[in-house]
Formats: sequence, C-alpha cells, structure tokens
Amino acid sequence: MEDTKHLMGLFRDGTETAQVIDSLYELGMEDRQVTVMTGVPYPERSLGRHVEWLRLPNIVLAGALVGFFLGLFLAVITPHLYRLDIGGHPTVGFPPAAVITFVFTMMATIVSTFLGVLWEMNFPEFGPKHYDKRVTDGYLAVLVEHDPSEEGQVRKIFEQHGCDSIQRSERQPL
Amino acid sequence: MAKAVRVSAKEKQDENRRRWGMVIDLDRCTGCQACVVACHAENNVPVVGEQEAARSHSMHWIRIERYWEGEYPNVKARFMPVLCQHCGEAPCEPVCPVFATYHTPEGLNAQVYNRCIGTRYCGSACPYKVRVFNWFRPDFPEPLEQQLNPDVSVRQRGIIEKCSFCVQRIRRVELDADASGREVEDGEVQPACVQSCPPSALIFGDLNDPESEASQLARSRRAFRLLDFLGTDPAVIYLKGGETNV
Amino acid sequence: MSDREHMAGDSDVPEGQIELSEEYRERLLLAQRTDAEINAAVLRPMMETGPKFWITVAILSAIILWGLYAWGYMIYWGMGTAGINNPVYWGLFIATFVFWVGISHAGTMISAVLRIFKADWRRPITRGAEAMTAFALLMAGLYPFIHLGRVWKFYWMLPYPNNRFMWPNFQSPLMWDMVAIFTYLIGSSLYLYLALIPDMAMARDHSVGWRYKLYRTLALGWRGTEGEWHKLHRALNIFSVIIIPVFLSVHSIVAWDFAITLQPRWHSTIFAPYFIMGAVYSGLAALATILVIVRKSMRLEEFLRREHFDALGKLVMVAGLGWIYFWFAGFIVEWYGNDPVTRELIHDEVAGKLAPLFWLQMTANILPVIFLAFRKIRTNPKWLLGFTLLINVGMYTERVLIVVGNMQRNYLPFDWGTYKPTWVEISIVAMTFAGFILLYILFSRIVPYVPVWEIKEGRLRYSLRRIGRLWVPTAAEID
Repeated sequence: MEDTKHLMGLFRDGTETAQVIDSLYELGMEDRQVTVMTGVPYPERSLGRHVEWLRLPNIVLAGALVGFFLGLFLAVITPHLYRLDIGGHPTVGFPPAAVITFVFTMMATIVSTFLGVLWEMNFPEFGPKHYDKRVTDGYLAVLVEHDPSEEGQVRKIFEQHGCDSIQRSERQPL
Repeated sequence: MAKAVRVSAKEKQDENRRRWGMVIDLDRCTGCQACVVACHAENNVPVVGEQEAARSHSMHWIRIERYWEGEYPNVKARFMPVLCQHCGEAPCEPVCPVFATYHTPEGLNAQVYNRCIGTRYCGSACPYKVRVFNWFRPDFPEPLEQQLNPDVSVRQRGIIEKCSFCVQRIRRVELDADASGREVEDGEVQPACVQSCPPSALIFGDLNDPESEASQLARSRRAFRLLDFLGTDPAVIYLKGGETNV
Repeated sequence: MSDREHMAGDSDVPEGQIELSEEYRERLLLAQRTDAEINAAVLRPMMETGPKFWITVAILSAIILWGLYAWGYMIYWGMGTAGINNPVYWGLFIATFVFWVGISHAGTMISAVLRIFKADWRRPITRGAEAMTAFALLMAGLYPFIHLGRVWKFYWMLPYPNNRFMWPNFQSPLMWDMVAIFTYLIGSSLYLYLALIPDMAMARDHSVGWRYKLYRTLALGWRGTEGEWHKLHRALNIFSVIIIPVFLSVHSIVAWDFAITLQPRWHSTIFAPYFIMGAVYSGLAALATILVIVRKSMRLEEFLRREHFDALGKLVMVAGLGWIYFWFAGFIVEWYGNDPVTRELIHDEVAGKLAPLFWLQMTANILPVIFLAFRKIRTNPKWLLGFTLLINVGMYTERVLIVVGNMQRNYLPFDWGTYKPTWVEISIVAMTFAGFILLYILFSRIVPYVPVWEIKEGRLRYSLRRIGRLWVPTAAEID
C-alpha cells in the first residue's frame, strides 16, 4: 500500500463524526478505508457505519458441542473402561452424568467465547498501529486511508466539521 | 426376622458367588476387647496412645460400643462390637473421587490404600463411622514393631483404612483351596477378631451358602442389622441380646 | 462539548437554573467531568501508594507466610495436627471453603444478572465485584488441597486415565465440585479480564515504565475501533448469559457434597437452594463491606455513591429475607419430623453446646435485614459497613454449624464427638483471609478499580427531560 496515505482527524462530538463519515462515503470512500476509534462504546449504527457480521455465536456453539461431548465421554464412556461396583449404583447414572455433562459444556462454552472473541479481534496484536492516545481521553478518531490526490478533500471535510486536530498518521507502537 | 436376610436382586443374579458376612451374637459378647487387640495385631493398625485417643484420633477397625441402660441400681451394660458393615449398598463407595473404595464381587467393601488421597468423604458418608483415618505417620513403639504382619501393608499418613474382613486370610484360604482343587469349607476362613473371640460371639462365613453356620444364624428370629432402615444392606448381622445385669 | 450536550439533551436550560432533587443531581455528578478527568480520578489512587499501603501489605504477607508454615507443618506431620477427628472428619477447612465459595457468588450476581437486566447502577461496582469473585474462588480452591490427606497426590483427581485405564469417579460429588469450581474460576476470571481490556488500553495511554509495559501487554493491542467494541459487547453478553447457570450450579454442587450423604440434617433437598441463597446473601454483604472500605481508602467517593449503597443494601436485604425463608423451610420440616438423630442435633444446636453459635448466627443474619430496610442506614457507609460485616460473621458461623455441628452427632451415639480447631487450622484459615485481602488490594493498585469505559458508556445514556416544573434525568435504551 505504498500509494496510499493515512490521515487522522480527532473530534469531540459523535454527531459531527457521523456527518464526517457520511461525507467521506459521498466522496467515494469504501468501508474498509475508514476506521473510527473511540474511547467509549458508541451504540451500533450511531456513527452510520455498517455492522460486521460475527462468527462468534458459531464459535461459541461449536465450543459448547465439544464440551458436551467431552462431558458425555467422561461421564458415560470412561466408567465402562474399568467397571467397578460402587455402592450398588449403576455404572453410569443419569444424575451424575447430567451434572458432569452440564459443567463441561459450560466450561467449553466459556473458553470458546473467550478464544473466539480474541480470534475475531485478531488479538493479541502488539505490532505498530495507527492510533492516537487522545482516544481514551474522549476524542473520536477518524482514520482515513486515501490516495495522495484526495488529501485536500479529506482535510476539507475534517475542517468543516470542527476537527480538533488533523495529522498524518504513521504506524506507531501502541 | 426374615427381612434381615433378604437377598437383594443383584445377589440373586450370581447366587453361586460368595457373599462374605459376619454374625455377631450380642448375647455372647462380654465386651472383653480381645477382638480389638487381635485386629490391631493382625492388620498392623497403629496404636495412637492416650493423648491422641483423647482427641478422637484412635484407630480401631473394630470397636466395642458400650451403652448403659436404665437408672441406678437397675443399670444394664450393653456391648456391641461394630466393624465395617461391608454394605451391599455402601454409601461410602460412590462418593470417592478416585475409586479408592469399591465393592468386590465377593461382597467385600474394599479399600485400596494406594488409590486413596485422603478426602475423608467416605468417612463423612459412612453412617456407622467405622472408617479410620491415618491422622499421623503410623508409629509402632517397641516392641510392637516386632510383630508386624508381613501379609498386610502398613498404611501411610493421610489415607483412610478400615476393616477388610481380614482379606489376606480370605485370599490365603481361597488360594490354598484352589491349589488343592477343593472348595473352601465353612468356617475355614477366620478373621482375626473371630478367631480370638473367647465366647465365640463372632461367626464368619458365606451368607450366600444356605448351609453355612453364619447364614443359618442369620436366619434366626433374633437377627437384625445395624441401621437397617437406611437401606445400606450390611453384611454384618447382629443377634439380639437378652438382659445383662451388672 | 459532547458530554454537556448529552447531559442537557435538547433542552437549552442554562446550568445552575435546573432544579433537581438531590437524588437526581447525584446521578449526574459525573456528567460534568470530562473523560480525561475521569481517567485521572481513577488512575491517581492506583499510582499513589502511601506508607499505610505498604504496612498493610507487610502485615498481610506475614500472616500468609505463617499460614504457609502451618500448612507445611500439617503436611509433614499429618492431618492430626488439625483439630479434625473421627467423627468430625471435616472441620474449619470445609466450613471456610463453603464460605469462600459463597463470597464468590456476588460478583456474578452483580455483573451478569444486572447486565442482563440493564440495571445501570451496576456500572461502577462491577469490576470490584468480579475481582471479589475471582479472588474468593482462588481462596476457596485452596481448600480442597489443604484438606487432602495426601495432597502430594492431588493430580489423581484430574480427568485422565491411570496406567490401568481407570478414570476418576465422576459419580463422586467431589469430582463435580472440582470441575464446577474450576469452570467458575475460569469463567469469572475471563469475564473480569474481557471487560478490563479497554481500561487496560486507557491505562496504557496514561502510564510509563513497568506499568506501561504491563498494560500494553494486557491491552492486547486494543485501539477502540467500532469492530472491537462490537465484538466485545457480544462476548460480554454471551458471557453474562452463560455464567449465571454456572454460578447456580457451583453452589448447588457444594451443597450436594453434604446433601447426598445419609447424615441427618444434611440429607435434605432444600440444601442446594438454601446454599445459593446464603451465598448470595454473604457475597453481596461482603461486596458492600469491600466497597465501603475501598471507597474510603482509594478516595473513590465520586464513583461509589449513595445510590450504589442504597441499591446494594436493598439487594442484601432481599437476599437476607430469602435466606431466612430457606432456613426456616428446612428447619420446620426437620423439627416436625422429630426423627431422633435430627431432634438431638437440633436440640444440641438451639439449646445445647452449640447454642451460643446458633444464636449468634440468627442474630447476625436477621438483625441486618431489619435495619437495612431503612434508607438512612443503607446509605450511611458506616452503618452499612457494620451491618454487612455482621452478616458475614453470621454466615461464617452458619457454615461452621452446618459442617461441624452436624458431624458431631450421628446415628450411633457411641461415635458422637466434639471438635475444637487447633492453631494449624486457625493459621491456615487466617492465611486465606489475608491472601484474599492482599490479592484484592494489589489488584486495586494495578488495575483501574472502577470500570472507566462502562461509566463513560452509562453517561452517554443520560439526558434531562422536563416534567412539569421538574427536570429529571432520563436514560436512553441503548445496548
């Protein structure tokens, strides 16, 4: 991507930021060229961006299934591998099997949710990135990846909407 | 009391199998504690001493429970030897996380010392409180260490042990009988407590063999089982005692 | 400026002229601060550690070291150095285990249940609650080890086959216990950590030195892009749904450890819900205690306000009523049945040797419920501290009574016994209390105690609306 440049504008206001994004789209920018960073979670769609479809629920379901079968294996199969009569109980009883299967399902679901969301976010990722520390102080950062020729237009849009700071953005260690 | 010798459905399936059991005639028990001593000697059960016994750390696989009944001067003493009841439906068995205790096909409630990690859950679950925990390293002060039984392992600290119906004696008789190609005879197996009981209050035998002395006594009208209402199906059958005035 | 605008909404009412009742004004306190000021207010007490802090750390460490010595002593010489005996096989260790598992229950209660119900007041206290869960569980998790006769063989309980292909016994409630507590520990730690990532990024942007390196690592490269927020929200929502059944199952299983035995007074179907209710009661009370102390010592008065104590006090009160109900529901059945062993146990507890403990339990658990019904007491940190501490004294006593009290008596009177803890048990129990406090205060100095991003998110929701003469804050429905 040597022929593109990055411009970052910092805004204080959510509404202005949404308008900036609209204007950028009118300019012909694509979704992937615009990144918005905030220190506060803004409600979905409040900035006029399209919402990604997540694989997370599928990962979670897959994890739950794995856990279910693992629990089932431990509770139902393993007692048959070495049968012992304990207190006149059947080798496999429903209540203990239900408890074990349930808990293992839950354990795998939890772990897969965590790993799934890290995977979706591409974390951990410690390389240099486009970022500005003022984001966590309440600024909304709009990062635009653009052709060098478009720079003037992008700057103009930023300035029109009361941008606090416009800067060339370089990748930097976080 | 026919109920006392009720044979559970599971046992009916393999009626040919032995079910080792003991009959304790409370009429004959004098509370002399010979069985307790014999058990300690046979099974390498440590003697903890006065101080630890006072802290309820004593380790008897069989104990004589003594109850006083009535008001002075009409006081009656009752003695009841209590050992592991080798329950058919033992509450101690399913609770062990590592299968350290289980039921053998011959009806013994086995304790596998090597598997035990000392959760003491079986002890809490046992309604008879006959399970014994090794609170300390086993200690055999002079000259007790001279008479340790080589057939029985000495248990490490931190594990549960309990009456095994002298499983080492059972095995020896069974192996000897097998080697000479004959059946085990009734009365041939004698756990240490049975052997040492002066008035023969304890009788050991196969409860599934209708001819054995133990099973015949178990059919007596005096027969009852300890805490039978809990449904634990014990293999120890008591014969009700009469009046014993002191 | 955006914050002001959110606060005032579309109304062009000049500040200062708005008439707000105190309750409403309190809720809007934060709205007048900028994001940077909030960051600073949360980070400052973390970075400043005075001599008091280090003295506390030193004392706690000494208690922990002594407890470790006691534990080593017990492992070396045998479990008999503790006061447990035959028939009281389980003593203070298991009672304290149940207590810690109980304490751990409020964290999820607050953060997951309240998140699902979108109760907004939860925001500043969620992290403190979740940390309490994680650390209480860590302490609870020590006890199965402490309690093992051969702790050096603990790994025999792990689910893998031995060389004869024999697996552990999954019919044993101890296996359920181990698996469930492990699951809950993983779940609550990950839940805590996940919600922490944006705040780690915030701390990263405002720190230098070793803290910077630590926060940078823990932030995993968080920048706050929309995608990241979106995914984080989804994950947290999934987590809060999953963790509730886990939290219910954990304490049920702890209760079943007791209830599946034939021991009179343990062998009861009400034990699982009774334990859960007691856990929530003592956990919420402990949370209130901790919040009062942290608020004072870390000067977080601005974030932990009267409305939080008010709401938390109400929850504690409701849980207390629940505990009383479940206790009574169990007691009446046992009392009426008049079974000889149960009768003896009840008599021993209510009028016998254990009576002082029993009446302490009842007083310490019932009295606060009555007093917490008053708003003045709920919102007064000192009273709240006193009553919630009292509740946990009561709940600890309850656990001791359940474990020790009931084991002293059983079917054969010859086996009845007594129990007195020795210095070994007391030292080890003290070790876990000190360990919990130490972990907690270290945590509060390393991690933003107040979830900053959640507070800021909550602030987005509020605006003012005019109803008649009154200006009231209204909350917007956003996820």
